[in-house]
Parts: sequence; structure tokens; C-alpha cells
Amino acid sequence: MIALEYFLLAGLLVCAAAAPLFRRLLVTVIVYTAFSLLLAILWALLQSPDLAITEAAVGAGVSGILYFLTLRNIHAMKGTHDV
Amino acid sequence: MSEGTWRERLRVWVDGEREPRDRTLFVMESPQRTSSLPTPEEHEVRERHRLRKFLNWYPAAAVIICAALVAVLLAAVVRMPAFGEADNPINNEVSRHYLARTEEETGASNAVTGMILSYRGFDTLGESCVLFLAVASVTLLLRREDGEPEDAAQRRLRREDALQREHPDVILQQSARLLIPFILLFALYVLLNGESSPGGGFSGGTVLGGGLILYAAAFGFERLGRFFSRRAYSAVRTFGLLLYTFLYGCYIVTGANGLTSEALTRMGGLSLPIDLAVGLVVACTVYGFYALFARGEI
Repeated sequence: MIALEYFLLAGLLVCAAAAPLFRRLLVTVIVYTAFSLLLAILWALLQSPDLAITEAAVGAGVSGILYFLTLRNIHAMKGTHDV
Repeated sequence: MSEGTWRERLRVWVDGEREPRDRTLFVMESPQRTSSLPTPEEHEVRERHRLRKFLNWYPAAAVIICAALVAVLLAAVVRMPAFGEADNPINNEVSRHYLARTEEETGASNAVTGMILSYRGFDTLGESCVLFLAVASVTLLLRREDGEPEDAAQRRLRREDALQREHPDVILQQSARLLIPFILLFALYVLLNGESSPGGGFSGGTVLGGGLILYAAAFGFERLGRFFSRRAYSAVRTFGLLLYTFLYGCYIVTGANGLTSEALTRMGGLSLPIDLAVGLVVACTVYGFYALFARGEI
């Protein structure tokens, strides 16, 4: 359990450091979502499952979707059909 | 117009057309144009100079601020007492009181839920109001009026919708068909179980909103609109907040402990209905943000 916690913490650091370094905003949002997912597992390990559920739903789900929608609306997403 | 009824005068005053006391019209003064405006070339040179100066300083400032923040946070973490020690400052009589008497005082068998919904219910009520107002202001900003002519972005959105209806995303639809029942069921479980186990309004509400978003993304807003139209959305959102306000008002008026009669205690006190109310508000907030961002209306 402790080893898993250290692994997750290292993953958090890597995600946090990597997120601003990518040039494509889409990749940044995906890395941010991964950060939230790792944090959700960490909350569950720290015995606060209610926070874990909320973090997974809000951090990884809803805010990621809102970022994707914003990127689509400002035409910053490659691969979607822009007319 | 100034000689009309008080109702007319009130309307005029609320609309900002006329000041009621001395009955003068408001006149917006247009600012005086200064004649010493720089020419476009001068302006461009000046702006480029400012930009270059800014870009020189920007990385250095960013690194310094980040390093300072990391140092402060690390110092705080290093000085923090170890996790779970017996003589930590959080282990005082306050938490012992809450742990021992939550059930008899609030009727919630889960201390965290009792804390969020009863002891600090006012705080949660404020948060619910913030969520409600957030959706209201995003609606004000992003909703397009009915009579407003469409601009290019909306035409593009409509074309994309039509395209999506003709060629639905098979992977998304099939996985949504598989997942949505479980998501909604889990949301209901978390909502209804909030007073006896971890979970409750905020968690269950976000999961419920996430399920609605998945449904709207996979099958389109028209299909969702059949059972969850704009009127239903507004009704549910307002009903949630009003229900919470009413229940918490009962709580305050009866001196916070007067409602734990036998039947209410067996039902989990007021925790269950309050949980449901918070969940409705949160779910509507989450889904409303998605709908407003995606197509400008709910």
C-alpha cells in the first residue's frame, strides 16, 4: 500500500510538471485529467472515498469535458471538423 | 411619464431611465477624445517594445514565483504533524464530541454527513447558492436569445449536430448504452446512502450530472430533451435549492435539535432529503455548464 502511494505521488509530480510543458493544449488537458485520476485514487487510499468520488467525477470528468468544449470552440483542437 | 402611477415610476426607476427624486434624465457623458493619441506606427513600436520587455521578464518571474510557492508548500508539509498520530492537534474534544454525539444530535449515522449537512449546514447552503448563481450567470453570458440572428459559429454548431445525427458515433453510443444505467444507479446509491456511508449530495450529484452529460454527448440533446427539457431543468434546479433552504430553515427555527423525533431519526433525520436537494442542485449545475458550453442553451 505504501509503495503504491509513493508511486501515485511520483505520478502526481510528473503530471504536474509535464502539463505546462506541452505545446498542444489538448495534450495538456489530457495530462491534467490524468493528474485528477491519480489524485482520486490517492484520496481513496487516504480513506476519504467521498472526496475520491467527487474528484473523479469533477476533476477527471466534468472539468476535462469543459476544457475540451472550450478548445473546440476556439478551434484549438486538431482532428475535429472546422468549417 | 413622470405623472404616472407609483408602479410606472418604480418601473422607470428600476430600468434606470429616470431618477425618481428630482425627475431628471440620466445622460451618459461621452469621454472627451484626447487629441494627443499616438499614430498607429508609434503605437505599434511602443507595444512591441513593451511586449519584448515583458517576454524577457516573464520566464524569470514565473520561475521565481513557482519556486517560492513550492518552498512555502514544502515547508508547510515538512512541519506538518505525522498522519494519524495520537497527540495531533486535531484529536481534541471537538472531534470527540462530534464522533460521539452526531447520531443522536443530527440523526445521521455518518459523522462526515452530519458535519456537512447539519453542524455546518449553513456553509453547505451557501455553497449550493454559489452553484445556483454560477449557472445563472453562465446562462446570462452564454445563452443566445430566441430572436437573435445566428452567427457563423452557431451555424457551424448546427451543421455539426446534423452531421452527428446522420452518422452517430458507434463506439460512443454502444459504450454509453452499456455504462449509463450503471452510472445513474451508482449516483442514486451514493445520494441515498449519503447519511450512512461516505458520499452524499456533492458526490452523488456530480456523478448524476456526469451521467446526464454522457447521455447528451452520445445521443444528442434532442433525445435528452424529451424527458429533461429546459423547463424541467429550471424546475428541478430551483426546487432543489428551495427544498434545501426550507429544510435548513426548519432546522434553524426549531433550534437545530428539535426535529429529531423518533420517525425522523429512523429515516436519518433531515440528512436524506437535504442530501437529495444538494444532489439535485449539483447535478443540474454540472449538466447546465456542459449544455451551455456545448450549444449555448439548456
